[in-house]
Amino acid sequence: MDIATYKDDVWGQEVLNGVSWDLLWLVIVLAFIFIAGHAIYETTRKRAQKPSSEGARVNRHEAIDRLFHWVMAGSVFVLLITGIFPIIGLNFAWLEIHWIAGIILTIVVVFHILRSFTQDLSSMALGPSDLKEALDETVKPGKYSPAQKSMHMVVSILTLLVIGSGLIMFLQIETPWWERPNSLSEATLGLVFFVHGISTLGLVGVICLHIYFGLRPEKLFYTRSMIKGWISREELNAHHDQQRWKPDETT
Amino acid sequence: MASFDVMPEVQLFQPVELDDALKLADELGSDGWLLGGGQDTYGWLKDRAKQPRAMIDLNGIEALQGIRKTDDGMEIGAATILRDIIRNEDINRDYSLLSQAASRVASPQIRNVGTLGGNLSQDTRCWYYRRGLDCYRAGGNICYADGPQSMNREHAVIGASRCVAVSPSDTATALLALDATMVAENTEGQRFLAAEDFFVGPNTHITQMTALKPGEILSAIRIPKKWANQRFYWEKVADRDVWDFALVSIAVSMAMDGDKIADSRFVCGGVACTPHRLTNVEQAVRGKTLSNESADEVAPLASEECKPLNYNHFKLPLMENLVRRAMRG
Repeated sequence: MDIATYKDDVWGQEVLNGVSWDLLWLVIVLAFIFIAGHAIYETTRKRAQKPSSEGARVNRHEAIDRLFHWVMAGSVFVLLITGIFPIIGLNFAWLEIHWIAGIILTIVVVFHILRSFTQDLSSMALGPSDLKEALDETVKPGKYSPAQKSMHMVVSILTLLVIGSGLIMFLQIETPWWERPNSLSEATLGLVFFVHGISTLGLVGVICLHIYFGLRPEKLFYTRSMIKGWISREELNAHHDQQRWKPDETT
Repeated sequence: MASFDVMPEVQLFQPVELDDALKLADELGSDGWLLGGGQDTYGWLKDRAKQPRAMIDLNGIEALQGIRKTDDGMEIGAATILRDIIRNEDINRDYSLLSQAASRVASPQIRNVGTLGGNLSQDTRCWYYRRGLDCYRAGGNICYADGPQSMNREHAVIGASRCVAVSPSDTATALLALDATMVAENTEGQRFLAAEDFFVGPNTHITQMTALKPGEILSAIRIPKKWANQRFYWEKVADRDVWDFALVSIAVSMAMDGDKIADSRFVCGGVACTPHRLTNVEQAVRGKTLSNESADEVAPLASEECKPLNYNHFKLPLMENLVRRAMRG
């Protein structure tokens, strides 16, 4: 199975054409093997009683951050559907929907980056202490666990790559604002298509895992907090070190 | 590109039953190549720009031949040669638009072997693509015909999406103007596609010209009674009068109510990746009489949404003038 596809350019020289979409099936199969393995492991594992969601509540995600998350999720789904369905043979007029969703994703990501400077950046930064937390179950994390920080880092890198390459591709097609410039060499264009494709494949895998973990029974309270904004005081005590994360009480 | 004097070796199947052809098409999928008259096929194969594993010759299948009257009009087998369509009395009487269009396809020699199904399913003539370059249509990521120095005199002025190639079929415009239905068959059964849905543009299918799927065979074309014996207009503008593709063509069907147009189809060829219906013209002519005044009034609508490339601005006045000529009394 190839990673990339190649073509002859107009001068007859071999250049990159893009990613090999056969990898899509490999990514999906690997993601589901991991999910199945993890699910089996979790069912055989003894775990502490699930903390109650009743009682006092603390704020985990502000409304604006939840809105960002779901707008981003929506635009990523639209991008994946419009980008991948035609490749697997489900044809429809996808291009316009794809670049509109891409612009929405770009805007929300820029907003998120700017907003992050007003927030506690260290709560999401991966550091040596995270390794200790990951290896020792008795050490509780601050606001985000090492797994959540790692997921955020991988999604950030892949999203920035897919947006960067997508914007370059966007500049190469005809839009209501400009005509097609044909300004890139075929080799450069192939590289841009490859980066866009490979980061998309990465996102497919990561999103499969993200949805799986978001739906796992012991993690559902995080998903609820991304919808409603809060976790209970008991959930906070059970899963987080309050010396490292002091959330506000909420009603 | 290297040139070759001889055809490559290709496995050839010559079924005589449609079921056998369908089984072969199903087994071969996208590796198979359906052969009608071969007038599009042999160029591709000889240049090695397409290299199918095997060809399925449809010419020996009787079920794909012939012109039959039906309760709702007429059915033409997809492997019927164009000469038979041009000479058929019923078609000349009821659907002369189709026989006129067929009579302007290429040259007499080609019409003697070229089939209706082949003419409808043929690939685009964009020379960048046919030269074997890896453009969007060939699975690449660029259109060589849409650049600052590209030679795009014959290319699309409307409906382009990354690829700017045009549909080359003369009979396609006529069949769209006659509201024809295409019968596509595979091993699982039949599928009926309105002519408008049969031809597909690059916004949905950038590597295809028709909605036929791998394993499917276009078996017949059905023309409804609705447009039988109505008023027709057909004209093709090309660089040569014979053996040339349309720069712009027009096929028009008009149902008259007295001297007024009650309903119509205006379809242009050579301007988009599919035969292009001028729906704004169709709406504008409703209730109008055929006259120079009406012609001048509606003709500018023909090119309203067009976006010409570097070298094909001339297609816009051509489209307008063809509508004008169709509307003259």
